[in-house]
Amino acid sequence: MENRLYGYAGKIARINLTDKTVTHIPITKYVPKYIGGRSVANRIFWEEVKPGTKAFDPDNKLIYMTGPTTATGIPTGGRTVFTGISPNSYPEQYCWSGIGGWFGAELKFAGYDGFILEGKASEPTYIYIEDDRIEFLSAAPLWGMLVHPTQKKLEEIHGRGVKSIVIGPAGENLMRNASITTSNDNVAAKSGFGAVFGSKNLKAITVRGTGAIYPADIPKVFELRLKMGEPYMRPSPIIHEQTHGMDQNTIPVEGGWLRGQVACSHGCNQHCCRLMMNMKSAFSDERINQVEKCVGIFAYGFQQDCSWTPIMSFETEKNHFLPCKMLSCEMPEIDVSDPYVKELFDKVPGDTVNYWKPDFDKGSVMMDMCNEYGIDKWDVIVWYMTWFSMAKKEGLLDELDFGMEADVENEEFVKYFLDMITYRKGKYGPIFAEGMARAIRTLGKEKFGDTIYKGRFSQVIPGKRLDIPVSLETAWGHSYHWQGRGFEGSIPKPGWLATSLELMTSTRDCQTVEHHHQKYEEYLKFKDDPCHSPVLVEGVVMNQNKGELKDSVTSCEWQSPDLFWPDMEAEAFTAATGIHMTQQELDEAAERSRLLFRAILIRNFGRDREMEVNAIFPTMQYPDPWGETVSWEDWNDLVDLYYNRRGWDRKTGWPTRETYEKYGLSDVADELEALGKLP
Amino acid sequence: MEDNTARTYGNHIVQYVPEYSFCAGCTSCEVVCTLVHDGLVSPSYNRIFVDRDNRSMIHTVLSCQQCSDHPCFDKCPKKGQAMKIDENNIVWIDEEYCVGCGLCAKACVFTPSRINMVRSADKSKRKAKKCDMCRTRPEGPACVQWCPVRCLGTSENSVATPLGPQEKPMPKEAK
Repeated sequence: MENRLYGYAGKIARINLTDKTVTHIPITKYVPKYIGGRSVANRIFWEEVKPGTKAFDPDNKLIYMTGPTTATGIPTGGRTVFTGISPNSYPEQYCWSGIGGWFGAELKFAGYDGFILEGKASEPTYIYIEDDRIEFLSAAPLWGMLVHPTQKKLEEIHGRGVKSIVIGPAGENLMRNASITTSNDNVAAKSGFGAVFGSKNLKAITVRGTGAIYPADIPKVFELRLKMGEPYMRPSPIIHEQTHGMDQNTIPVEGGWLRGQVACSHGCNQHCCRLMMNMKSAFSDERINQVEKCVGIFAYGFQQDCSWTPIMSFETEKNHFLPCKMLSCEMPEIDVSDPYVKELFDKVPGDTVNYWKPDFDKGSVMMDMCNEYGIDKWDVIVWYMTWFSMAKKEGLLDELDFGMEADVENEEFVKYFLDMITYRKGKYGPIFAEGMARAIRTLGKEKFGDTIYKGRFSQVIPGKRLDIPVSLETAWGHSYHWQGRGFEGSIPKPGWLATSLELMTSTRDCQTVEHHHQKYEEYLKFKDDPCHSPVLVEGVVMNQNKGELKDSVTSCEWQSPDLFWPDMEAEAFTAATGIHMTQQELDEAAERSRLLFRAILIRNFGRDREMEVNAIFPTMQYPDPWGETVSWEDWNDLVDLYYNRRGWDRKTGWPTRETYEKYGLSDVADELEALGKLP
Repeated sequence: MEDNTARTYGNHIVQYVPEYSFCAGCTSCEVVCTLVHDGLVSPSYNRIFVDRDNRSMIHTVLSCQQCSDHPCFDKCPKKGQAMKIDENNIVWIDEEYCVGCGLCAKACVFTPSRINMVRSADKSKRKAKKCDMCRTRPEGPACVQWCPVRCLGTSENSVATPLGPQEKPMPKEAK
């Protein structure tokens, strides 16, 4: 009993699809030094995946990890993470993708903290895990099935209590932004790992666990349940809504619609996701329920970009709250005694963009197709569909014959197009199935990507037309997100400089895990000269490190960081594992994880300063709603500050030996030195 | 499914109608149940069950209805020792004497059975897990206390209309 491992399940399964073998790695090989989750995955990838490996190669390893708080009852611990080479990054790079649901907890009940998927099955396969038993089963009866029918079929085969992660036809057909789906429509979508499943002939993983996870400090777990996220602890009735959307996207719904709130992950004390009930299906006359998160709102109507309120990014002790409470409509009352209250809640309206008029049924159909085919909704709503809207208005589609009129206002076209790319039909299906970044380059980027859309108008400077390209591409093959232009672009320059710095050193849209948060008093210090402010850089580092912790401890984007409870993650880690970890020690572990991520990018994907500055800088040359951009000199000054803070060489962007050694990674430094990749 | 309409029940956990509060499917009830009773989290130990529906995402909470005629107790080969009845007519399990035979779980009149079974290669660890309404907790049932959306209550102190024991919480379509 005294030797009990608290928090962790104890082992990682190495699952080889080529030879259908399973071996075990003790989790203690990696923890507590690498915490759990993404941090452990980074170490495994560093040790096992060689440079030159491509996303769809059998040698690409898809690593799935839970955290030490998963299945302990600590709120948000149900979040888990995949890592591997992403087919959706442009160029392909090492990436991660978080996912909630109950699968991770069930996997731990079966005795595993995670698994490494390697190789490639010779025929369609799914994996069934029941405690110590891991089986490779034929997925022939499942191949081709939509996401929800696949989940249902697996329950029919293995019993209602099993938990599954599955792909739909998009993943099977190697669509580069295919998702992996689990319960409550939770997805790992951004990295396109559904296509990596498909490339390995892997349709699903189903698990049933009967074991137990032991949190070390149960009174503390209960304390955290009461404190983390200030849980609602009030009834959450189903609401009969009369309208949908916000701002210019508001749409009256005939007969109204029903909204419930559901949790995203096992044992959480929040209910962030909107359940939209009795909605129109794309596939039958039967009405369906589906989950909506923030981006989904824009499927229904997209005439105005998302507005921004400073409290979303910059907070005071008197006024700060979980962003997810905006989706569940449970925001706390504003504390008017706050001296900054006026500034904090001074809403900045999003640009008028006129992508498509509100259409409740069409939005539901779009969402349903993404859910069932297993496609990243984000790319569909923010990128494919906006591109069609803008490109058509700029006359770019006249010479492209899609087989029917390309009209995003038409539900039939939305269905036609999503079907076309999922099944790679016709001339353009295979092109767009490669994701927008690659499709635009195939069509010709200068014309089909960089042509200016003339329908974007600022509401900050009323009537001012602002340039934006028809393809909302930012760095690494992803679309704009909280970056001053494109989707959710109303954040002012100090904010989008921070998010752009976060994106520059990443491999994907990282705002889903690193929404920039900083104290409002700090914002006041850098708002007038953000490119030369160590305070802004410190905020970027803090948000990035918290991002590592969210995917490692685990927690979630909506609960962390709590700027006024900075050791929340350390308390959660210690309560789960019994291993005392101070905030400083956990921050060092986050730095170590981040350094490993950096080392992987440098060794396997040639990352250096020139590469990342050139990837990000052009994206900031389109004006923000105030007409602002950033100069080459100012941006590079900010990059210098950031590299200095991180202990990275300013010329190359490579961490120094001293930095690696400071965080216990001298072996990493040795290998990079041998490759000539130490400064 | 058994017809239990004529059966009478003691004080038991109820799930309220969604118009009062909608189950978020967070499984906090399952989690806190095992934390307070067993000091762990496990699907083999919880005495309350969230019947999850991946398609509708409407989840139903299943729990022991505390049948007045307690067929589970009657089938226990060590009744009086392993299964006992307290002053409130709550059947509870004294795990020191429970041998984990599973007869009580099989005798449950509901499907799925509301009695959980810990299965283990170690026979001494095989135990039945049945809701005892947290009979020794001054705060009452932990699942009720810790439900973040207050969709659970007790039948004797309902603050809203409960669902029937087999009733799906699907609301009527909006018209």
